[in-house]
Amino acid sequence: MTSPASLYTLCRICHYYGNQKVLDIEEFSIPAGSILGLSGPNGSGKSTLLKLLAFAVAPSRGEIHFGGRREFPMSARVRSRVTLMTQTPYLLKRSVLENVVYGLKIRKENQKLKQRAAQAMAAVGLDFDKFHNRAWHQLSGGEAQRVALAARLILEPRALLLDEPVASVDEQSARLIRRAALAARDKWGCTLIVVSHDLAWLNAFSDIRVSMEKGRIFSTHKEIILPPPYRAEKTAGTERWFLPVSGNRHISLPAKTGETALIPADKINIVRDAEDASNEKNKIPILITRMALEPKTGGIEIDVDTNAFRLTLLLSKEQAGALNLQPGKKTTMVFSTRDIFWR
Amino acid sequence: MAFLLEGFIKAIELLIGGDNSTWSAVSATVQASTGSMLVSLLTGLPCGFILGYFDFRFKRPIRTILDTLLALPTVCVGLIVYAFISSKGPLGEMELLFTLAGIAVGQTILAFPVVTAITASIIENIDPALKLTLVSLGAGKKNIILTCLWEVRFGILVAAVTAYGRVLTEVGISMIVGGNIKYHTRTMTTAIALETNKGMFADGIALGIVLIMIAFTVNLSLSFLRKR
Repeated sequence: MTSPASLYTLCRICHYYGNQKVLDIEEFSIPAGSILGLSGPNGSGKSTLLKLLAFAVAPSRGEIHFGGRREFPMSARVRSRVTLMTQTPYLLKRSVLENVVYGLKIRKENQKLKQRAAQAMAAVGLDFDKFHNRAWHQLSGGEAQRVALAARLILEPRALLLDEPVASVDEQSARLIRRAALAARDKWGCTLIVVSHDLAWLNAFSDIRVSMEKGRIFSTHKEIILPPPYRAEKTAGTERWFLPVSGNRHISLPAKTGETALIPADKINIVRDAEDASNEKNKIPILITRMALEPKTGGIEIDVDTNAFRLTLLLSKEQAGALNLQPGKKTTMVFSTRDIFWR
Repeated sequence: MAFLLEGFIKAIELLIGGDNSTWSAVSATVQASTGSMLVSLLTGLPCGFILGYFDFRFKRPIRTILDTLLALPTVCVGLIVYAFISSKGPLGEMELLFTLAGIAVGQTILAFPVVTAITASIIENIDPALKLTLVSLGAGKKNIILTCLWEVRFGILVAAVTAYGRVLTEVGISMIVGGNIKYHTRTMTTAIALETNKGMFADGIALGIVLIMIAFTVNLSLSFLRKR
């Protein structure tokens, strides 16, 4: 069920809030020592997934294996090995030092507390002498975020889960947080699972990128989500599904057999002129909003806006060059309905 | 208005001069209220935590009853305690009637709902991020409970001060259960009632000032603790 290289393996996970299903993951593994970047719209289940991976909440159904063994919330084994930093971390109403060493104290590891706190604080760019006596309310947002990260790094966890770690901090704090998290991976092989809406930051940071939509996990760059709402139209007894884009334009979808429509990334083409693809059914005008080098593959990552939704495509340098793409350029994206599938 | 000024002057004279009856009333008040506060905090804090933290059957009805008990008339408590500890009552053998311990029992009944209800409200309103943070830092159940209580310590101080205010200023229980016996169970509030009935406004005002000073000192100490 679990491969030895996987730190986490999720099997048939379903999670509900009341009657609403918020997570539905058939099988998903996270390799030990990797950096997993997780993105997706609000309400797609990212934070819930992090809570499950942090063993703070038990899934309504399914199993989570950690290090090859099925684990449960509050298990002593995972309590000391997994730690989560939420988007707006809660600092205890104590000094910075007391916050940083809290986890060590409850583990009864009381040796060299100050020395270890100084190291953890240095890792996130906080000067021990300047900050250790400060009260929790005497910190800026970025400093509070870094204190919260230091409180987790001092525990040297096997898995560090970060929910929007740079959403509300300045550029310098974001850089320090990234540096500290990467150092944790390099020093003791910490597996990092990071949720962020900042796709450029996430792409530069992570080894593996996945997206979430409606509680499901999809592989970014391989499968493109065509996000809901989907519409159906009945004509002459047949049901035709489509995704409205803008004005009277829409994407034609195949007969609905699942909850989310997807298309393999390599089946989407960007064309110079819509006339170049006269045979294709779906010709969607797009605006290039961002282009960035994707360091892992050397490709060019392109964010496009269809007016109804945004998506990210990965092109080769040659493709991007041939199309003469640049941010702000309006062009057309084409693909065939038969390549779209439901999951 | 002259009698008010006279009251102030007399208060200082009574306190500085070490007037026996005044200091006896002060001592009786402090003893009974301290005893009742200790018991109500020791029992009310855990009960309040359980009520605020956990979800269980009959939680809502219990909260409603507790909230109703916040406005419990002190004379009713005095009457009920009297019925239980009088010689014919079920606890008559304990000989608590007309003793400071008897007053403390009644005052505990008065303070317990205040401590429990306020603690429960404070715990219910704890930031949900706190528990998630504690779990993610590796805290077990015991650490979660203790840290949560420590995080809301200022709120709990408010619960204690509110309950202490109610206990310190009640008359009904002290009068009915204590019997207002001079040098024995006469508290400051019963003494004020008696002196006022006798037309001795200055003595009443003097004791009132002492009462306010005690309340002020308690609040000042808590404020100091809060700042630390």
